Amino acid sequence: MSEADVGRRGFLKIAFAGATALAVGSALGYFAREGEVSTLRSENEALKKKVEELSSSLGVEVPTETQKNLNVYNWTWYANLALVDQWAKENNVNLVYEFFEDLDTAITTVTTGAANYDIVVISDNEAQELWNEGYLQSIDLDKIPNFEYLPEGFKGLPYDPNNEFTVVYSYGTTGLGYNSDACPEGVSKWEDVFDVDNPDSIIRRYAGKVTMMRDSSETMGAAAIYLGYDIDTTDENELKNIADLLIAQKPYLYGYVQTEDYMDELPVAARYCISHAWNGDVAGIVYASDEYEVYIEKYYETVKYVVPEEGAIAWYDNFVIPKNAKNVDVAHEFINWFLQPEVSAIHTITIKYPYPAGIKYVPKEILEDPMIFTPEELWDKLHIGRALTPEEKAIRESYWNMVMTAT
Amino acid sequence: MSHRREPWYITILDRIRSSRRIKVFLLVFLPFIYLIIFFFAPFIIALMYSLGMFKQVVYEFVFQPQISLEYYYRLFQYPGVLVAIQRSFYYAILTTVGTFLLSYPVAYYLGVKLPDKYQEMVVLVLFTPFWVNFLLRIYGMRFIFHELGFLNMILTTLGIVNDPIKILGTDTAVILVMIYTYVILMILPIYGVLEKLDKELLEAAATLGASPVKTFLKVTLPLSVPGILAGSLLVFIPAVGEFVIPELVGGANTVTLGTVIYNFFLRVKGTMGWGLGSAAGLIYIGLILVLSYLYIRLVGGEIRLG
Amino acid sequence: MKITDLILKIYTVFFLAVIYLPIAILIFFSFNESRSKIVFTGFTLENYYSLISNYAVWDSFYNSIWTAIVVTVVSVFLGIMISYGVTRYEFKGKNMLDILMLIPIIIPEIVEALTLLVFLIILGIRLSPYTVIIGHIAFDISFAYIVIKARMAGYDPQFEEAARTLGANEIQTFTKVTLPILMPGIVSAALIAFLQSYDDFIKTFFTRPPGFTTLPVYIWNMASRRGFALDLNALATFIVVISIVFAYVRLKVERW
Repeated sequence: MSEADVGRRGFLKIAFAGATALAVGSALGYFAREGEVSTLRSENEALKKKVEELSSSLGVEVPTETQKNLNVYNWTWYANLALVDQWAKENNVNLVYEFFEDLDTAITTVTTGAANYDIVVISDNEAQELWNEGYLQSIDLDKIPNFEYLPEGFKGLPYDPNNEFTVVYSYGTTGLGYNSDACPEGVSKWEDVFDVDNPDSIIRRYAGKVTMMRDSSETMGAAAIYLGYDIDTTDENELKNIADLLIAQKPYLYGYVQTEDYMDELPVAARYCISHAWNGDVAGIVYASDEYEVYIEKYYETVKYVVPEEGAIAWYDNFVIPKNAKNVDVAHEFINWFLQPEVSAIHTITIKYPYPAGIKYVPKEILEDPMIFTPEELWDKLHIGRALTPEEKAIRESYWNMVMTAT
Repeated sequence: MSHRREPWYITILDRIRSSRRIKVFLLVFLPFIYLIIFFFAPFIIALMYSLGMFKQVVYEFVFQPQISLEYYYRLFQYPGVLVAIQRSFYYAILTTVGTFLLSYPVAYYLGVKLPDKYQEMVVLVLFTPFWVNFLLRIYGMRFIFHELGFLNMILTTLGIVNDPIKILGTDTAVILVMIYTYVILMILPIYGVLEKLDKELLEAAATLGASPVKTFLKVTLPLSVPGILAGSLLVFIPAVGEFVIPELVGGANTVTLGTVIYNFFLRVKGTMGWGLGSAAGLIYIGLILVLSYLYIRLVGGEIRLG
Repeated sequence: MKITDLILKIYTVFFLAVIYLPIAILIFFSFNESRSKIVFTGFTLENYYSLISNYAVWDSFYNSIWTAIVVTVVSVFLGIMISYGVTRYEFKGKNMLDILMLIPIIIPEIVEALTLLVFLIILGIRLSPYTVIIGHIAFDISFAYIVIKARMAGYDPQFEEAARTLGANEIQTFTKVTLPILMPGIVSAALIAFLQSYDDFIKTFFTRPPGFTTLPVYIWNMASRRGFALDLNALATFIVVISIVFAYVRLKVERW
């Protein structure tokens, strides 16, 4: 080997330096971690000691409590994480709380069985499909006394009339959000974003400043409503018209984006100002909400949400317990805890999605915000999805693919 | 007690020492079994999957003794698949060419022109950014390309454009970020070759009256070809399989083969998704293997790393 | 002549500046007090405090490091074994083996990761940190093999023969003669293996169990959530500053 191999040696040197840096970092990380764990441990220890003293003075034998585990899989921005952490600490639960950003991924994760989650939050028709195919366990309502706090309208919903496998988590609508600073005219109906033939329509005048969702059922559903079809149509002619409409709309769109993208963008509206969006997300923007802290002042008042005049998709999200869940009892405990009215209310105030069990503790200004709690009179024009068979899904998927790959 | 019995392990060691076969088995094939189990076997499973030999029934995978080409047939009925394949190669080719054009002058300057005493310093400066996790760097690129970001700020202040231009979500963003991510893999081998060039050779060419341009074209460039070839292979192969970058800075029109495979596996439920995904993955591997084979045959050299 | 040199020099400096730009921007925004990650509104150190107290970041940092260390040790060990066998002995199928060892490097990682996932699921192996390690070793063996083999092929086996004629047994020869000569190759193989594992996102992402995050997975999860970004920027600053300091110290203290 030639000693003039500076390139290699230089590279090695940098590599070595980097490795040392990482080692130091990890050492720091390790200590930070140990510190956290040991404080936790000492807290627990103190508590345990107290209980033991108390019980021994009473002459009672306390069973030594074993560490409980719980794996939860939920949407991002969908719970007050400080509260959830606190619950885990108080109940000595080793909680793994993981997030997903799109429902399809969540569903395949459940169906492959690669990862064991004990609770998954999934929407109405998807839950029904999974139940029909045998991927879910039944939920034992006897272990969830707080179920009674759910208002009547949220028990026995059409997709699960006897609450065999679901407990309602939240609900809402899919409509249009916009920034009224950047788009002063606003939007009020699907026509505004779909009528691409009319040069005076909003979509033509705000070309490149509109987004649709990356979620196929939502975007195809919106087009179906505009065309007057059933949102879950599997008729090939209707699907073709939907695909054609979406392909015609595509050149005028900024793109198909995910939740976190429009939640960042709508407040500043530098890239686009009209988004196909979920109600609670837009509410979250308006209140600049956080997953840990409670803000109830409106922060970005220029961001607005509408349920389009032609109608919209409504949905319910639910707790479900997958068949391969390992900690079923703790899962029931968690659901029961979540349904306590105070707990649900705090989640609503934090995240700005409605959690039905807590309605009576929610402050008036939030309860009356039509962005968060969908007003009664709108329900006539809202549509709820139905469970599809795998074949029906495949047909819809192929048309969606056509849209996604059109240029 | 005429013969002292040796402990059992010595006997075994002796046996091993005396047999070449056992040595080769222990040294080479035992570790290689690891790769067979955890690398090659999964591909066999994927192949079986793509031929419809598994069926999923609620967490159970039932083996079916059959061979059907249904998934391959279906795959090409998806209009997106061919477009995605084309696009993957388009990105990879542009990335390879782009990294080469942008990095050759730098590698040339560092390898040929820069005095030796600065070499280590400059190499250090060149590599430090690449210690930061690549996702963080891509994330930094998002700050730059954003409509309110650094690039548009400069462009609008200088009056080159009136309104911020849209970069995120387009092919341009994907290609630029890919070039940024892979450029180091191109510089490294070219620099390695140029740095070892005999400087006296270049001087000799100059004293013999060759113009600098001619020296470069006739001597330096041909001599750096091995580095260029190694670099392009190092860039092209991961680039054609890229899935993270289109996902993070691309949009609806930047679907690559990597994304398609990901979508089949993770967004289409049940046996069908995995069947289609495995089929797409194997076609992909086939393409890559054929290309690398042709490349190696054509070049005749070996790939060198480190 | 001089002009072209000057142009080259300016271009190189410009190139380096561009390479540093995204990181500079990350560092710049790490001092931003705004809740938006796009617009700079004011200076603060709060992101650094929240980074220090962010348990999840350090936990994933720790996971990244320990898995990478295990992966490096195992794959370098196996890499040494295979490359020693291949360069010192003749056997059938050697060329085939040489080509097969290249394949893990050539195959796109996304395909590799997903087929491994399917394989694990079909065998009913539950995902754990060990499945992540298993996946990483599978591609790191090849990197270690190629680097060490290059070094091994580059020196004269006469040293070994000399040692043996002087009465050293095979193991003594290996530890006293071969290993020291191979050391630079082993070190660079270890570094490459470590970096590959430490920076790996795709394979980790698909083979990890719930609740086990490495740094890249953590960054991926956080990058797709709003409002969080600024902690990550502080983390980038941290990594850059430490590696620059150490690189500089090494350069000053020791020349090798």
